[in-house]
Amino acid sequence: MDKRILATISALNARAPSPAHRWTYEGDVPFGADPLRAFTLGNGLRLLLLVDRQAPTVSYFTWFRVGSRHERPGKTGLAHLFEHLMFNETEHLRAGQFDRRLEESGAESNAATWLDWTYYYESLPKDRFGLAVSLESERMAHLVLREPQVASEKDVVANERRYRVEDDVEGAANELLYKTAFDRHPYHWPTIGWMDDIMGFTPADCEAFYASYYAPNNATLVVVGDVSERAVLEKIGRAYGGIPRGVVPEEDTLPDPPQTEAREVVLRRPTATTKVLVGYRGPALGDSEHTVLCVLNEVLFGGRASRLYERMVVETEVATELRGWVSTFRDPGLYEVFLTARAPHGSGELLRDLDAEIAHLKEELVTEDELERAKARLELGLLQSLDTAAGKAEQIGFYDTVLGDPRGAFAKLEAYRRVTRGQVRTAARRWLGAASRTIVTVLPQATESAAVTA
Amino acid sequence: MTRVLHEPSRALPLVNLVVAFGTGAFFDPPGQEGLSRFTGRMLRRGTRARSARELEAALDRLGGELSVEVSATTTTLHAQVIRRNLGPFVDLVAEVLGSPAFAPDEVERLRKKVLAELVEARDNDRHLAQVAFRAAMFEGHPFGRTAQGRARTLASLTPESLEAHYARHYLRETATFGFAGDLSGQEAAAIAERLSAALPSGAPPSFDALQDPPGPRGRRLVIVDKPERTQTQILIGALGTSGHDPDHVPLLVATAIFGGTFTSRLMREVRSKRGWSYGASARLSVERVRHALAVWTFPAATDAAKCVALELDLFERFVELGVTPRETSFVRNYLVRSHAFEIDTPTKRLHQALDTHTLALPADYHTSYLERVRATTAEAASAAARARLSTRDLAIVVVGTASAIEGELRAALPGLDEVRVVPFDADADADQHG
Repeated sequence: MDKRILATISALNARAPSPAHRWTYEGDVPFGADPLRAFTLGNGLRLLLLVDRQAPTVSYFTWFRVGSRHERPGKTGLAHLFEHLMFNETEHLRAGQFDRRLEESGAESNAATWLDWTYYYESLPKDRFGLAVSLESERMAHLVLREPQVASEKDVVANERRYRVEDDVEGAANELLYKTAFDRHPYHWPTIGWMDDIMGFTPADCEAFYASYYAPNNATLVVVGDVSERAVLEKIGRAYGGIPRGVVPEEDTLPDPPQTEAREVVLRRPTATTKVLVGYRGPALGDSEHTVLCVLNEVLFGGRASRLYERMVVETEVATELRGWVSTFRDPGLYEVFLTARAPHGSGELLRDLDAEIAHLKEELVTEDELERAKARLELGLLQSLDTAAGKAEQIGFYDTVLGDPRGAFAKLEAYRRVTRGQVRTAARRWLGAASRTIVTVLPQATESAAVTA
Repeated sequence: MTRVLHEPSRALPLVNLVVAFGTGAFFDPPGQEGLSRFTGRMLRRGTRARSARELEAALDRLGGELSVEVSATTTTLHAQVIRRNLGPFVDLVAEVLGSPAFAPDEVERLRKKVLAELVEARDNDRHLAQVAFRAAMFEGHPFGRTAQGRARTLASLTPESLEAHYARHYLRETATFGFAGDLSGQEAAAIAERLSAALPSGAPPSFDALQDPPGPRGRRLVIVDKPERTQTQILIGALGTSGHDPDHVPLLVATAIFGGTFTSRLMREVRSKRGWSYGASARLSVERVRHALAVWTFPAATDAAKCVALELDLFERFVELGVTPRETSFVRNYLVRSHAFEIDTPTKRLHQALDTHTLALPADYHTSYLERVRATTAEAASAAARARLSTRDLAIVVVGTASAIEGELRAALPGLDEVRVVPFDADADADQHG
């Protein structure tokens, strides 16, 4: 522990008006070359602080440990609707004032909601740090949820859903994939919610959600930038210390049983070519095999020297675009594969080539060169994500919220380096079984269903 | 003399390398649209010493990335690598820049890929809107042409024509070398010399023939007809300014007031008050000559007609009545303070410096930007909007299902000078038979 920080904390705590305003210093973890400091306020609010003087800016992220997985059938999309409502009226700020004050200070701000989490962020010139503290603490405790705001934001979210799902081929296919692959687990429904649910929300639904999940003990602040540690602790302690701890509901999630039979669904859209989305039941982000599967994914899909690009785009020419992604969720998710056919080829040829390469991975070891390339690509990707203060804050908050490890990005990089060829083969055998996958085939509208050859 | 820009930073073990050439799709001969971009993409597809696959594998092995971007007036190679592999990576980039192969089988492969991309792009309604917008806004001008090409123009490209284009346009005489990240000025200068020596030499192409576009005449509505759209993509545009115009920055300030922030007039009226569109924004593009001010929204099909009518009404009031001192003061603060995020990474700083060269902007365009924003008054911003923007000559593009929206659009927008309905896959036959 840093003695200087201990002294700072001790001085601040001596003047704290209540136990809830007192800080506990949890210690440091290395984040790259710098120390990332962890603190907890008396009311349970966590703070992760990284001083970074690369630019005269500061990024301020508020991560709430709530996402669409905490919703119930009939009330899907509430976590995401809430993200919109958080930019509305508070007890001390009229509607529109929140954004206006940030913009007047030159701040960038936005928010995101997904299955496991919700975050809000501001990036500000460093001398405006206090504004982020006052606005975020205000909306954590004093949000106003009335009918006109809820009604207007429901319309905006309905439009967002049309944009991202109804009129978007990939968005619609992805939604159908998770709906089909998961039966009981909340990953079954989309974060944006079903349209009927979105339009049905009332201010009372929103009030209940706010009271349950937007409590200091369900949140982590991540501050990265050119700031004074003492000033950060002082301002945050003063602004948030008076917000009472909440009673956060215990999670009530039904895990899905293992998938033992392949599932297939067809979607028709006005699109020119067939697309296939495959979801293999995959590991959770915290599973050690998640890392191995990420390396495997690079071997199959990473760049134009990858196995599937070589086979499907260059050699057989059955595909024009392909990619894979291992979902980064707290609970086991999917290993997603997206393939676009080159006309006149269809889903049959796409799956034939995919299956052949997966069979090959289960039999033969990948080469040392393939392994080296995969690891270099993953390392480059991680370094790129840490380019800005906001990028660092996002990585810190994401891994802390999902895995409880704020330096998870670096832990992941170290784990990539340890992956062996044998582990890749084992992961292929364990996770890429035909019986544990779900296939969504998107057919051009006029095509007959007989064309489905999968 | 090799032009070198350098933005050092030890924050991450990464090096960015950019080579910008004074050329672009503007130089595609008629009937060969797509030539410049195709040539740029061929650089990634093999050298005289290495096949495309070997090149890709070498890039991956080093933890490197490389791409070439071609717009109407710019051609830029972007590369990035993990610092420890900088040496061999520079060797590779020199090879890519100095001895591209233009192998016939790779040309065919890329041709197929681009044709497939043209087809896939029809899935993206926003892209469809942008293509139709460019065509309607800049008809008869190089900005209205496609940099991507069409099936029949791509068919005319040969390994020989690509190689000839490369030899005339990837010239050391027009190249600017930019570096950002974990390397010294000395290293940057040495690498620039090395890369420059690998490039062809010749007489630089001239942009003298690039004139201000005339812009649309009258109010022209184009409906891009696509089945089963629950939503529309709408772009409305007027001619803007060039970076050389004295009222360029005042018009940037005015545009930001109209639709450049989350609390702008447009956002407030379209999203906050009415909930019609998830996004609503206005943007002034910067090019070598005058470009467009474009207004973007995407309301539900049922709200499309009233949304366009509202936008036109807001735009007319903006141009005719101008902006207020309060609005101007607010946006000035926003632009000045948020400027920190335009330069918060070495790569962003490098790109600002490069812009000045590649778009032939005034030498002090970026360095005097803040000062000019601070000096902009409401009167100056209003005068710029009035002087530069026409409310009569507008391109209005709506991607949606024509049978559901055309009647309402015609009724809601009296005084249109032209209405055209274009199928979303209008170029499909050309693509298949071209």
